[in-house]
Amino acid sequence: MNDQKTKNSVFLMLLLTLTSFAQDYTLSGTVKEASTGETLFGATVLFKGTNIGVVTNEYGFYSLTAPKGNYTLVISYVGYGEISREIVLEANQKINVEIEEFATRLDEITVTAEEPERISLKKPEMSVSKLNIKTVKQMPVVLGEVDIIKSIQLLPGVTNNGEGSSGFNIRGGAADQNLVLLDEAIIYNTSHLLGFFSIFNADAIKDIKLYKGGIPARFGGRASSVLDIRQKDGNSKNFALTGGVGIISSRLAAEGPMFNDKGSFLVAGRGSYAHLLLKAAGEKNSANFYDLNLKTNYELDKKNRLFLSAYFGRDAFNFGDSFDSSYGNLSGNFRWNHIFNDRLFSNLSLIYSKYDYDLGITIEQFDWISSISNYNLKYDLKYYVSDKFKLDFGLSGIYYDFDPGQIRPTSETSAINPLSLDRKRAFESGLYLNAEHKLTDKLTLQYGLRYSAFHRFGEQPITNYANNQPVVYNSTLGIYERGTAVGETNFGKRETISSFGNLEPRASLAYQLNESASIKAGYSRVAQYIHLLSNTTSITPLDVWTPSGPFIEPQLADQYALGYFRDFMNKSYSLEVEAYYKTVDNRIDYIDGSDLIGNNTIETEILKGESRAYGLEFLLRKNEGKFTGWLAYTLSKSEQRTSGGSAGGPGISNGDWYNTPFDRTHDFSLTGAYQLNDKWTLGTNLVFQTGRPVTYPNGQYQYEGLSIASFSDRNSDRLPAYHRLDLSATYRPNRRPDKRWKGEWVFGLYNVYNQKNAASISFGQNVETGANEATRTAIFGIVPSITYNFKF
Amino acid sequence: MKTYFRIAIPLFILFLSSCEDVIDVDVQTAPARLTIEASLDWEKGTQGNAQTIKLSTSTPFFDTTTNTAVTGASVVVTNNTSAAQFVFSDQNNGEYTTQDFVPVLNQSYTLEVQYNGETYRATETLMPVTDITELTQSTEDGFDDEVLEVNVIFTDPADEKNFYLFKFQKRGDLLPELEELDDEFVNGNEISWYYEKEEDEDTNTEEFAPGDIVDVELLGISEAYHNYVRILIEQSEGAGLFSTTPVALRGNCINVDNEENYANGYFRVSQVVRESYTFQ
Repeated sequence: MNDQKTKNSVFLMLLLTLTSFAQDYTLSGTVKEASTGETLFGATVLFKGTNIGVVTNEYGFYSLTAPKGNYTLVISYVGYGEISREIVLEANQKINVEIEEFATRLDEITVTAEEPERISLKKPEMSVSKLNIKTVKQMPVVLGEVDIIKSIQLLPGVTNNGEGSSGFNIRGGAADQNLVLLDEAIIYNTSHLLGFFSIFNADAIKDIKLYKGGIPARFGGRASSVLDIRQKDGNSKNFALTGGVGIISSRLAAEGPMFNDKGSFLVAGRGSYAHLLLKAAGEKNSANFYDLNLKTNYELDKKNRLFLSAYFGRDAFNFGDSFDSSYGNLSGNFRWNHIFNDRLFSNLSLIYSKYDYDLGITIEQFDWISSISNYNLKYDLKYYVSDKFKLDFGLSGIYYDFDPGQIRPTSETSAINPLSLDRKRAFESGLYLNAEHKLTDKLTLQYGLRYSAFHRFGEQPITNYANNQPVVYNSTLGIYERGTAVGETNFGKRETISSFGNLEPRASLAYQLNESASIKAGYSRVAQYIHLLSNTTSITPLDVWTPSGPFIEPQLADQYALGYFRDFMNKSYSLEVEAYYKTVDNRIDYIDGSDLIGNNTIETEILKGESRAYGLEFLLRKNEGKFTGWLAYTLSKSEQRTSGGSAGGPGISNGDWYNTPFDRTHDFSLTGAYQLNDKWTLGTNLVFQTGRPVTYPNGQYQYEGLSIASFSDRNSDRLPAYHRLDLSATYRPNRRPDKRWKGEWVFGLYNVYNQKNAASISFGQNVETGANEATRTAIFGIVPSITYNFKF
Repeated sequence: MKTYFRIAIPLFILFLSSCEDVIDVDVQTAPARLTIEASLDWEKGTQGNAQTIKLSTSTPFFDTTTNTAVTGASVVVTNNTSAAQFVFSDQNNGEYTTQDFVPVLNQSYTLEVQYNGETYRATETLMPVTDITELTQSTEDGFDDEVLEVNVIFTDPADEKNFYLFKFQKRGDLLPELEELDDEFVNGNEISWYYEKEEDEDTNTEEFAPGDIVDVELLGISEAYHNYVRILIEQSEGAGLFSTTPVALRGNCINVDNEENYANGYFRVSQVVRESYTFQ
């Protein structure tokens, strides 16, 4: 703790030193949406004709510092109008601004000639994608369920394992390398119904920001990406209801002002009802999900604001009377925004999140449960030192509790013995400082450092192995086997088992070539201390997380990126080209025939390796006009190599590089929306992707009256390429402006040409003829949908 | 028990998804490899003197030729304590037989096969097995509680690790069904194992009906063989989205002369209980 105190005082000293430079005046405030009072994240605030500008932070806060003088303050936000105001800056002052959305009437969506300068070209932020929830809602989706996770897959560098699989993969990384935050709470599983849908109810979400690289120093803990999703605060102007009725689920959200207009609330719920129909149809099996989002905030005074947000979601499956399963996330976050002064903004968060999985096997009369939960305390500050220098700094601490699994017999007669795998505990801390530094009008730097530390502690026993080898290579048989246990070491309560610490430098620069083009470059190092154990083709809700410790080292990712960014055709188009090279050390892979289920000593099933990924991403966007959308293309490679290490032997696939399951050579997607007239909007997606690496048979032999397949090297084959076309049409009936009820119909057609994309290909013997055959499982053929959405 | 975890998830996905079809797929072809099916199974209550070992070669995955028999090899099993040798004679159809084998519980044996100038060798211990206490039928134990299944009831010996292999085959079925069990979660308990057939129109598979006869084998197996056969069973069930990545499976028959040219298959020595059940 003393160490921390020292660091805190260093921060404070740094602050004081920097503050003393400032002689100019500061304009600060909050940018909100006019109709709902929602704060806007990423709105551009600048003094016209100068290089002095900033974007609002997650809480809509901005701070601009400039020499005394007269300025035109211009505030703009994508999809919204812009506001300009004459300012006489001769003292520090506060201006809160409300900005209005473009009306939906077509003739008003014309490009304004005096569009303010976009400073995104100047900002050294790269490898970042921000998606507007409105764009997400317009995209055609399967069964009409708006899905954030599926939408981001249309961006370059983002893929997943195919339909019906959970999670997503960023730049050739694994699904567990993504830090998914919902109102800052860690979400451990983003899927409903095994990946058919995502857990994020679009009606409760304000914005989505995906960092594929160049991860800011305030984030840490995952090697590949950060997906930062923020819930709406709730309408602070009027009470409003939004909702929708779809084929799979229905939604309802209520929001409105509270606490004498000093705050607002949002309650959103979503539930699926397909299982009710199935039951009515006499189907014994069922699957359903629901979720609930809550948020409220209260403005104590001008400088202090409190937020409380929560999420609860669950999936349940029933397979006749034989199995049932349920799982879900629970999270809560209490936040305190405090504005120290015009230039120093702070936020303190106390966050809890939990994921748990429950499998009931009725026929064998036992339950299996597992969970991971964490408490997270973090304090983030942003200091707007001058128009040329901004500082982010803060610290965080996360306490993890891993319950990797328990077996509980559910009856006296159950043949199953009770079992509890060892509970694991860990503490992850982080301390960071990041500067955004405008060196010249053309060159802006961002540089920062994060120090992260991870402590595994008791109480729990740790198995000791002969020669300290949990996995041993059997050179006679040519296979990896479990090591020989030679007793255990018992670690007492709070006794440290292992400790790790890492310095994570992050740096990037933006150099503006001219008015409409810039180049950017970045480097980042990120340490990941917890790992999802999964040796299946696609991750499952059953997979458990495990902390680093005596046998598993933290993953260390280094990423280099170089990009070219350009606006053209009067800024109605933009082009982003990025190249990246990423390496991850200490990436684990599983030995042949590994068995993770109910395994208390995971270390006997894994080998340590490394992975590397590189690629080139293109994103061409059309931002304005009747037709908007983008074309994304990624050319990439993702491989891993796993040597025998201390276990000896050649390692996996003879220690050679092999494809990760996330390797996609080509990934192309076209997404567009076309405003036909004031009633109809059309949407489309066209997707083409190289097939997923898989392992196919390379021969067969006769054994025990069966034909047994022999298999080729790991991931040396590929599924057929994946492609599909989706269409959607949104109809907004004529409505009188005075009418509060606003409805719209969304008609969707997913996979228009009914392509049978293989989610998996399985090889087996036909029980009738005995001949070997390949069976393709395709998840979605052509799927029509209809959804009605309303706002009141 | 772990089987349930493995089947639970794929079942959900199957239930949710719709479409499965058989397609043509190009696969790689590995060079042919010798397969040694050396299953010395000693049926409880018999002498166990008559034993057969089968040798064959592997073929391309979609090949339908059945003539893969290996002849002209020499096959010998040795009792590692007494050094007694059991020579298996070539029947010229891929089968090598002996009438003189002497099974001894917990005895270690070595198999030596000489073929094409190379020597393959494997060592295994004869594993005992507990008796089946009851063989019966029910509907409620299985996966579908309206469908008949056969129940194999036996008691797992406490205070020791046990591994089992089940082999079920309905008379008239082309293929047997293999299942494995590790007593990790059920040590010392009475275990009721079931075998049920699900109706499948595509393959003309029918549920069990009164009058059907099913042959049941319960084998005691070694931990190493259990590791092998567990993967073999898992992989022969096909690789779906939620199954583990298939691997090149290696048994215990090593090639003494050329390590890379190991043989497929396994040398197992097990005690077995064989019974048949006629559904009522």
